[in-house]
This record gives sequence, structure tokens and C-alpha cells, in this order.
Amino acid sequence: MSSTTKKSSFIKSIFQAPPFRWTKKLLGKIGFSGRGLVIAVPTIWLLVFFLIPFLVIAKISLSEALIARPPYSSLLEWDSDGLLQISLNFGNYYYLIDDALYIIAYLNSFKIATISTIFCLLIGYPIAYYIAKSPENKRNILLMLIILPFWTSFLLRVYSWIGFFKANGIINAALLNLGIISEPLIMLQTDFAVYVGIVYTYLPFMILPLYSNLVKLDDILLEASADLGGRPMISFFKITLPLSVPGIIAGSMLVLIPAVGEFVIPALLGGPDTLMIGRVLWDEFFSNRDWPVASAVSIIMLVVLILPVMWIQNKQNSNLGES
Amino acid sequence: MTTDEQNIITVQPWHDPAAKPFIRLKNITKKFGSFTAVDNVSLDIYEGELFCLLGGSGCGKSMLLRMLSGFEQPTSGSIEIDGQDQTGVPPYLRETNMMFQSYALFPHMNVEKNIAYPLVRAGYKKVEINQRVEEIIDMVQLNQFAKRKPSQLSGGQQQRVALARSLIKRPKLLLLDEPLGALDKKLREETQFELMKIQKQLGITFLVVTHDQEEAMTLATRIGVMTAGQIKQIGGPQEVYEYPNSKFVSEFIGSVNLFEGRVTEDTENHVLISSKQAGCDIFVGHGVSCAPNQKLWIAIRPEKMNISANRLEGKNNIINAIIDEVAYMGNMTVYHVKLNSGMIVKITSPNFSRQNSEIFQEGKTVYINWADNAGVVVPS
Amino acid sequence: MKTKRYILPITVVLGFTFLYAPIVSLVIYSFNASKLVTVWGGFSIKWYAHLFEDDQVMHAAWLSLKIAFISSTLALILGTIASLVLVRFGKFRFKSLLSGMISAPLVMPEVITGLSLLLLFVSMELLFGWPAGRGIVTIIIAHTTFCMAFVAVIVQSRLSDMDESIEEAAQDLGASSLWVFFDITLPVIAPALVSGWLLAFTLSLDDLVIASFVSGPGSSTLPMVIFSKVRLGVSPDVNALATLMIGIIAIAIIGASFLMFQKKK
Repeated sequence: MSSTTKKSSFIKSIFQAPPFRWTKKLLGKIGFSGRGLVIAVPTIWLLVFFLIPFLVIAKISLSEALIARPPYSSLLEWDSDGLLQISLNFGNYYYLIDDALYIIAYLNSFKIATISTIFCLLIGYPIAYYIAKSPENKRNILLMLIILPFWTSFLLRVYSWIGFFKANGIINAALLNLGIISEPLIMLQTDFAVYVGIVYTYLPFMILPLYSNLVKLDDILLEASADLGGRPMISFFKITLPLSVPGIIAGSMLVLIPAVGEFVIPALLGGPDTLMIGRVLWDEFFSNRDWPVASAVSIIMLVVLILPVMWIQNKQNSNLGES
Repeated sequence: MTTDEQNIITVQPWHDPAAKPFIRLKNITKKFGSFTAVDNVSLDIYEGELFCLLGGSGCGKSMLLRMLSGFEQPTSGSIEIDGQDQTGVPPYLRETNMMFQSYALFPHMNVEKNIAYPLVRAGYKKVEINQRVEEIIDMVQLNQFAKRKPSQLSGGQQQRVALARSLIKRPKLLLLDEPLGALDKKLREETQFELMKIQKQLGITFLVVTHDQEEAMTLATRIGVMTAGQIKQIGGPQEVYEYPNSKFVSEFIGSVNLFEGRVTEDTENHVLISSKQAGCDIFVGHGVSCAPNQKLWIAIRPEKMNISANRLEGKNNIINAIIDEVAYMGNMTVYHVKLNSGMIVKITSPNFSRQNSEIFQEGKTVYINWADNAGVVVPS
Repeated sequence: MKTKRYILPITVVLGFTFLYAPIVSLVIYSFNASKLVTVWGGFSIKWYAHLFEDDQVMHAAWLSLKIAFISSTLALILGTIASLVLVRFGKFRFKSLLSGMISAPLVMPEVITGLSLLLLFVSMELLFGWPAGRGIVTIIIAHTTFCMAFVAVIVQSRLSDMDESIEEAAQDLGASSLWVFFDITLPVIAPALVSGWLLAFTLSLDDLVIASFVSGPGSSTLPMVIFSKVRLGVSPDVNALATLMIGIIAIAIIGASFLMFQKKK
């Protein structure tokens, strides 16, 4: 009890300290209530550092690249007559549509992300199912084991696959020793390596939502089905699978969205011909130093990939809220 | 005035027009958009009372409680506690305390700290806090559990911690939201009496909200029966049971047989009501204020009806019927009998002797009857 | 029938092998005297020695730790405030805006977040002269922004699971809002705050893409240094670094879960 009292008076003294009182008074004078202030802090932070940057990107995507600092032209200019001139340059967008590279990169990112998502689902579902059906103490340990790799560096986990895929790496050495192959397979710098990398990295993101969905499934439903003569396999396809659709969707979204914009995995494991849009954007920015085109690439990515996904997710959430 | 009358007045201040109410709700209305949760409720509660608000879920009883504790503001109307208007007084400054339905024990504090919290917040001295906590822990018999966390306690123990915590500041009014709702039946019955004992001992005014009519009947000095945001009737347990003022109250408290009918004969000391459902004229042995030919209902409790094998002569209110179902309950037998009109009437009959020869079998033709003053006439 | 019963457990074992084999291989090869992954050149800790002699790595590691500590703490504060506002404040004018902005960074590709923030910083510098150049400050701002989304997810779910009546009870028993927060809400959501902070710390420590965009000369973070090293192929001192990081994280997590377990008991 004494500790509570001590803590209380300590906190009290903090809030009664002059700086606090003065700030409160000052803010009250300009019409800020405590409540409004609390709301304003995170809202303003996110406005300035999250929302406004997109307006900046949109603006720069409409300007021309210059060899200068910063390397883009200004949209607004005062001409000699003192009139405000606005010069919009849609050339960057035209360039993106005109050059097949970008369209291929968009499509390819989507293809790679989708296929990886399917593999994550195929591998993740049995694991999630197994964990959900395990006794509770075992369940917690298994879950912990799923989450644990996530806490170790993502970059290093991707990097570790280089050792497996290299021409003189672990897999080739094993296969050569077993006599299955006579010369090393080329795995590093291929799409295959990218697929493995993505599935490996995002597997926990698939398993966790699936698990939390499956664990809520009532065993009674399955027992009822068995009681009514359903064989286990039939019960699974008729009951468990349809009921786990929300988990499948949630997991797939968590894998698909970041996978589309992935940069590190194609950069480390993929070859020069593994075109993914995140990497194209990176190169456009760091190698070509074409900021306006990089901006246009990200605006299109935002409009074509992210906004639809967010819309679907939002719809999904409101559907769940209604039911 | 005799001493007897004086006693009645001190025990039942609501019968004394000069008595000053301790809690006063005046025309309280609470609206959410177009939905009216509480509809023009006025209620006086006297010091030391154990008042029960009884009603089904969504009837507005919990909203009244939340307005008394200050979590919600009434849309219109005022609340007075001990003569002080509570408008705009935040919960933490009100001299009411609440025992939550979920108990709302602080999971990170042990029993002792939970109970001490109100005193710590109020800035009491450590010595006094310790002494008062010890006292109240004694009272609710939690001495062995003082150092335990709420999660290590049984439901009944948690309930006692919640009670102790809400009482330690000696509030002017203790609000109890379904205080026994989470306990199993046996524990609930024991705790009811414990609660009454503690209330008397401390003399604190209690306002209990419950949906359990048995609980309300056992605990309350008075009961307010609520439905659809309104208080339908206020009265002592016996009053609301024996003299319900409406169909709703008669049906809500206990079970009842309701016969619909019209007044055919209206005199000062009796009325005759013709009821198609009963299949006969019902004789009511007292005057009823009503218009001629008015439609009304007679409410008769199952235990106030009799079943006999033969027609009893020289009595009013006798109907021919067939036993439809019989349920033997031990202390009594419950019959469902079917009248000629098709209406099913529920009758209970105490089992005085251990032989079951007096129990009527299904399908038997019987006569049911009731006394002239057994029923209550309700206008709606 | 019997083989069928083993299909599921075998899949699970293979799945876990898939998850852990790469990590285990990193640890093993960090102690390999040979530079080749296929040749075991004997046990050695020479790569660790190499690592500690590498000033660039040491400098970057220290910088990353500083950034991670500051930005995860800021993210914790801002994310917790945002969660409180969204879960407990009822309706207010910008609620849907705030809830959209707080969850959007979760689905935003890092390349876009990074680029957009860089362009913001450049524009701000042109307009206001701040931030002058890019470095530790801009990285901290960027990391705080995307980490607070993760903190908010964790804290929000804890807050909405929390029985609101215990906050009301405290208020009823004499605590004003500020006291309710410090006496009740904060201690009850503390585990969520701890895991939120840890998650934010790890994310910040791990981030390559955003930091690459918003960092400036001389402020290369550890992932940036690692990336430039491993782009050229396997480098054994990175294995050593990985092993150290895995070890520290493993100890931290085992310690944390041990503490949680003890508390639950």
C-alpha cells in the first residue's frame, strides 16, 4: 500500500510542476482542451510524416528530372510577368506505360507474390491446423517457435539462403556427394531462389492468422459431422475449410501485400532478370537518380496494388463487423 | 400515536408524507438519438433503504444506475443525493460507489490493495487505511486471502472483495449491478442474506439492479418494476406480488392466470365480470373503479386456485376443467388444466401429506374455484 | 491408415526445419575456420575477432542501436496515445482519418514509405531549412512513423480486450481520468507495451530499405552495412554478427517469457 501512495504523490507532483501547469494554461488559452491535445499529437505526426509525403510524391511525379539539387523541376514558377505558372508534366507516367520494362515489372511482382502466397498457404495451413489441434501447453511452445525466427534479423535470414543456393553451396554439395547430379545446379540469382526466400520469410505471417482462426473452430462441429457419418476428410472439406476462409484471406493479404513491394529478397537472391517493382523503384532512384520517375512508379504501385488491397481489407473488416 | 405505528413509519418512511427522501430522481429521461432508454422516471429512495430495480434486459435499469454513478448524464431531469444536485458532478467526486456486475477487480492488485484503492486515491493516512481495510476484510471474511490476486479467488470470494471495495469509503449510496448474477444458485441464496446483514450493519442505502425477481423479493425493502424505460410500479415485495397494478407487473413477478373480461355488474362492494376465456361470470368481492362495460383483466395467482373432484356448492367462481398436465415438484404439485374455452390455467397445490392419493391424474375432469377476493383486477 | 496419420506431423516437422535450418546454418558457419560453407575447416572464433576489429560494422551497430532505442520509445508513446484515442475516446472528428493513417503503414511497401519520406525531408529542407541534410534524425522520424503502426496494433487489441468496467470502477472509487490511466490502464496493458516496444525495436534495428532512403552520408545503419557486404556474396564475419544477434534476441525472449510465466503463476 505504501508503494501505491508513494507512486501517487510522485506522479501528482510531476503534473503539478510549473512547466505542466503553464503549458496547460497556455494551451487552454488558445482553445485546446486536454482531450483535443491528446488526439492532436498522433494525428499531426501521422499527417506530417505519413500522409503529406504522398502528396509530395504525387507532386514530384509530375515534375521533370533535372541534374541539380534537388534533381527535379518545380511545378510552380513565377514568370517574368509576375503570373503564377503551373507546369504539370505527365511525361513520367507516359514513360512508364511506354516502356515495357515497368509493365513487366508490375506484372511480374504480382505473379511472384501470388505464387509465393499460394505456397505459403499450402505449407502454412497444415502447420496452423496441427498447432490449433494440439493440447494447450504444446500449442504455446509451437506458436513461440513460429514467432521466434521473426524476431531475428530479416536481412540475415534472407542472406543465409545464399549459403544454401550458391554453386558451391550446401544443397549442391549434398546433391553432388549423393551422386544425384553431376554438376552444380544454378539456383542463386533465379526466380526459384526468390520464391523460396519469400515463402520462407512470410510463412509466419500466414500461419498466425490461420492459427487464430482455426483455434476458435469448435470441435463440436466436427464431432457433430462425424456423428452424422461424415468421414474425417469430408468433414474437413465441408466444415473446417469453409469456416477458415477469413483466416485464409487475412493470412494471404499479410503475405501478398508486402511480397509485391519486396526489395531485399529479389536483390539478394534474384538474378538481374528477376524484375520486381520494388527493385525497379530502388534502381531508378539510387542508380539512375531519376526522382520523378521513381515517384511515378510508386504512385502507380499505390493506386494499382495498395489501394485495392486496402479497400478489400476494409470491406472484409466491415463484413466481419456486421456478422 | 402508538409505538407500533411509530415503528411502521421509521421502517417504512415512504408511507410518511413528512419524510425526506435521501435520493431523489426527478423526471429522468435518457435518449440515444430516437431511442429512449429511460423515459421520465421519478423515484424517491429513503436513507437506509435496500431498493431493488427489477426488470428484464434492456429495460433501462442499468442506465439509471450509470446515471446515478455519473457515467452517463440524463438528457433531462435531475438527480439529488442527500439534498445535493448531482448535475455535472463526475463519477470520481460523487458520494456513490458501485459494485459492478463483472466485479471489475483490478487484476494487477491483490485483495488488500484492491480494497484500499479508494482510500489511497482519497489521500488517507497509511495507518488509517490499514485499519479500515483490516476491519472490512474481517467483515467479509477474507482474512486468509488478503495477499491474493483476484484471479486466484473463487467467484464468491471475488464478489466479497468487490463488495468490500465499494463499501470502504462508506458511500451515501451503494449501487449494485446484478450483485449475485455470477454466482451459482446455492451460493446466491446464502449471499443474499449476508448482503442484507451487511447493509443493516452499516446502514448504507443500497440500490440493487436485478433481473431475478426472487432476488428482488428476498432483498428489497421496496421494489421498482421496470419495463421499456419506465417504472411500472413501486412497492414492497408483498405489495407488488399481491397487488400488481398492471398485467405486466402481475406476469413479471411470479406466475399468474389472466382472464380477459368486461364489467357487467358494478356495485359498491362487488363487481361481476363476464369472461369468455373463463366461460363464466367472475365474481370479485370488492368494488372496482371502472367504467361500465370496460374491458379489463383479472389476475389470479396459481396458488390461490383450488382443484376439486366434485363441484363445491354455494360458491362463486367455479369452472369445469380437464387436467392437461401434472408436474410433481416435491413441496407442491403444478397442474395445467384446460378450460372449455381452450385456455390453459396453471394451478399449484401444496403437498400436505406424503400420500399421493390427492394428486389428480392427467385427463381427469375436475372443478377449479377461487375465493371472491383471490384475484386482482387490472385495467391494462 | 497408419501412414495417413503421420502425414500431418511430418509436414509440420519439415515446416519447422524449413524455418530453422537457415538460422542454424548461420550459427554453425560462424564458427567455421574455412571461408567455404561446404568445407568444415575446424572450430574457430576468428570471424568474431574480425567483426570486432571492423570499425565500420561497430560504428553502424552502435548507430543502429541508438536509432532503434529512440525510435521504438517514441513509437511506443505515439502508438499508445493513438490506440487510447481510438479505443477509448468515443467519436471525434478525425477518427477515421487517424485509424486509417495508423494502420496504413502496415501494408505500405517499404520502398514507397522510404521514398515518400525522403521526398518530404527534401521538400521541407527547401521550404524551411529543416532538417538540414539527412542522418540520424531523419532515420528516427521515419522509423518512429512506421513502428508506431505496429505498436498501435498490439496496444489496440490489448485495450479492446481489457474489461472497460475496471477503468470505470477506478473512476467510481475516486480516481480522475489521469489517475485511472496511471493506476489501472497502464499497469494492465504493460505487457502489450513491452511487446510493442520490443517489436518496434527489432523492426527499427532490422530495417534496410527505409533507412537507405532517408539516411545521409556517415549515417549508415547496420543493415545498410550488412547489405553492402552480403551483396558481394557470403562473408563469414556477417555469420558471426548474425549469431551474436540471434543469441542476444534468444536470451531476451527466453528471459521475457520466463518473466511472464512467473508473473502468471
